[in-house]
Amino acid sequence: MMYQYFDTLVTGIENVLANDPSQKSHRKLYALEVARLGRRLYSKTDCLAWCGVVAPFDLLAAMDVTSCFVEFVGAMLAATGASPEFLKEAEDAGFAPDTCAYHRAVLGAGRKGMMPEPDFFIATSAPCTGGLGVMENMAAMFQKRLFVLNIPQNDDPDSVAYLADQLKHMVDFVTRHTGKPLSMDRLAEAVARSNRASTVMADVYRLAEHVPSPVSARDLRNVGIVSALLLGTPEIVSVAEAFRDAFAARIAKNTPGVPGEKLRLLWIQNRIQFKNDLEDLLENEFHTAIVADELNDITWDPIDPADPFPGMARRAISIPLNGPVQRRVKHLVDMARRYKVHGAINPCHFGCRQGTGARGLVAQGLKEANVPVLNLEVDCVDVRNYAPGQMRTRIAAFVEMLENRPNPWE
Amino acid sequence: MNKPQEKLVGYACAYTPLALLDAAGMTPYRVLPVGREWPDQAGTLLHDNVCPHVKRLVNRARANDLPDLSAMVFMNSCDAMRRLCDAWRAVRPGDKTVLVELPPTAEPHSAAFFTRALHGLSQELAQAGGDPVDDARLSASLDSWQRIAGLFERLRARVRRQEFPGGPARLQEIYNQSACRSFSDTLAALSVLEESPPEGAPTRGLVPVLLIGNVLPDPEAIALFQQSGALLVDEDLCTGSRLFAAGTPGTETDPWNKLSSMLLSKPRCARTFDPTAPLSFAQDVLSRARRAGALGVIAHVVKFCDPYLSRLPAVRETLRNEQIPFLILEGDCTLGSIGQARTRIEAFVEMLR
Repeated sequence: MMYQYFDTLVTGIENVLANDPSQKSHRKLYALEVARLGRRLYSKTDCLAWCGVVAPFDLLAAMDVTSCFVEFVGAMLAATGASPEFLKEAEDAGFAPDTCAYHRAVLGAGRKGMMPEPDFFIATSAPCTGGLGVMENMAAMFQKRLFVLNIPQNDDPDSVAYLADQLKHMVDFVTRHTGKPLSMDRLAEAVARSNRASTVMADVYRLAEHVPSPVSARDLRNVGIVSALLLGTPEIVSVAEAFRDAFAARIAKNTPGVPGEKLRLLWIQNRIQFKNDLEDLLENEFHTAIVADELNDITWDPIDPADPFPGMARRAISIPLNGPVQRRVKHLVDMARRYKVHGAINPCHFGCRQGTGARGLVAQGLKEANVPVLNLEVDCVDVRNYAPGQMRTRIAAFVEMLENRPNPWE
Repeated sequence: MNKPQEKLVGYACAYTPLALLDAAGMTPYRVLPVGREWPDQAGTLLHDNVCPHVKRLVNRARANDLPDLSAMVFMNSCDAMRRLCDAWRAVRPGDKTVLVELPPTAEPHSAAFFTRALHGLSQELAQAGGDPVDDARLSASLDSWQRIAGLFERLRARVRRQEFPGGPARLQEIYNQSACRSFSDTLAALSVLEESPPEGAPTRGLVPVLLIGNVLPDPEAIALFQQSGALLVDEDLCTGSRLFAAGTPGTETDPWNKLSSMLLSKPRCARTFDPTAPLSFAQDVLSRARRAGALGVIAHVVKFCDPYLSRLPAVRETLRNEQIPFLILEGDCTLGSIGQARTRIEAFVEMLR
């Protein structure tokens, strides 16, 4: 089913682009590459690794391993409307319904044969404990070897050295499974592409800061977290450049992403993955633009292609969802100022202890920076308890409140 | 109230290196989630769907229901503990708050990193007024820890044989007291208990049960199991036997490496796992049930505990394959929540008879 889904997506987009080059948009290119990745995952032809969120995907690509974080499948199942079946499968197997639905969907998919069998697993302790649990369960389910990257909380020299050392152990682990040693030349090329892509994406995010913003809610949806899966590849550089060129063109033509932009919002953590009308509501009824996402940011410095492991370690440690919440709040406040947002929305993903667990501290920190936060109690993957009417009411009230506040940026 | 010149170090996790605190001349003080009912405001800082153990500690901190602490040590054991550390810093900004990196696995490179983290903690404790810790002091404290672990093991055996007045509930009281005492005071108290003659006539008809889980420090809650007909022949709780359990030092001779190894290899919380043997936690539970002669296993875990919630299905399947009945209770670490489960415990025990 999932192979067919991705194959149909790929074919469809390729046909559109072949038949009508004017349709070649940044979002289509991005969707095409993500769909190609999905197809490779389910193709049964590639050496496949299921991973945690901050695994070094460019390093794995340089070793000819197709890799992906498992939550990607949870998100895809939600996007296709298929998640309830797999959530129920997991719950019937005894996985508590108040755990993260990304993980429950993946466990259910695994139990129902919907997760392609990997060659091995690479778990990461960041962003969350639940992620480690699901990887351990999957490794037992598939009877495959598991490697764990323990991501320290801080980027002090010892922690960076420890994680860099673990990455080298990981390389040995992968080599034992693939029989192919890592080529440092290939890794250097992959790192150079990652650096290039990151530099261009930083430009993309800077363009999004423009007032009015060139982005619509759909433009950068999930881009930060999903594009990490394509790091090291030539394709991500092309995709990043397409985004940059599109936004630059919109700014030049004074074509904002949300016509008549009245309010600007920062979206915290992840978007809601299943189909919902919140983004349309914000843009079309309230002329409110989601100009920034917490996870759409480059939080690391360029990595030295000649000695990439410390830089990759720092990259993993630097993600907003790792480390003390005080650091996370500082990053959010910085984003709020850069993007000149009027408010923030936090979809408090049910079962997310590491992210949503800090809901109050995050809201408090942003409040001190004069950025009101709307906490939406919603499960980003499980549509079964979604109450669109309630969400609409809460968003309408939030927007009304923002409209009646003095503009903090004037 | 602190004893004169006593430097208390607060902690909240059974992986806290108590031997290191002892070596630094400081007294461990486990901040337990039981006592008064503090105003429930933790959800305003964190989220309501966070471990109730963590929430209760936040409430306790906000209520300032704590002795003077020289430092508060958190172990990076899980998401909830990290958020607790964050909330503690917000609620008690004047405290010296330390988060210690605790790897989820025990490979040599991770054990070495943990050793360095322990050195770092030692320096933090020194800044908080602790004594400098050299190899000799740490070795002495490791010896004390192992002696305490042995004394508790022998005490548990007496409890199993029903030769200890007060039984498991009294033992839980002793755990709670020891968690907030210096090693020397704990050794003295346990030695007195060890010298005391066996007492008590066994209650007949109790069904042997293994209790596993995490936070359940209320002695009355522990007593409830026996009142419901269960004889706790073994227990694996982080507020119980796991706190002072000492793992193996292996071939380590350096006391810092020994401490790291003994903590990472001690009877584990579900958050610690062996990547070469995924879900072997379930086998551990089975082995423990068999060794103790348990007819059934009861898991009591606090709600929203992801490390346990993700491993309990495997435990259930493993025990089911061996035809060992398994009961899962979720609570909020208080007597109230376990009291609600009394009927279920009684029914479970009746089924085991």
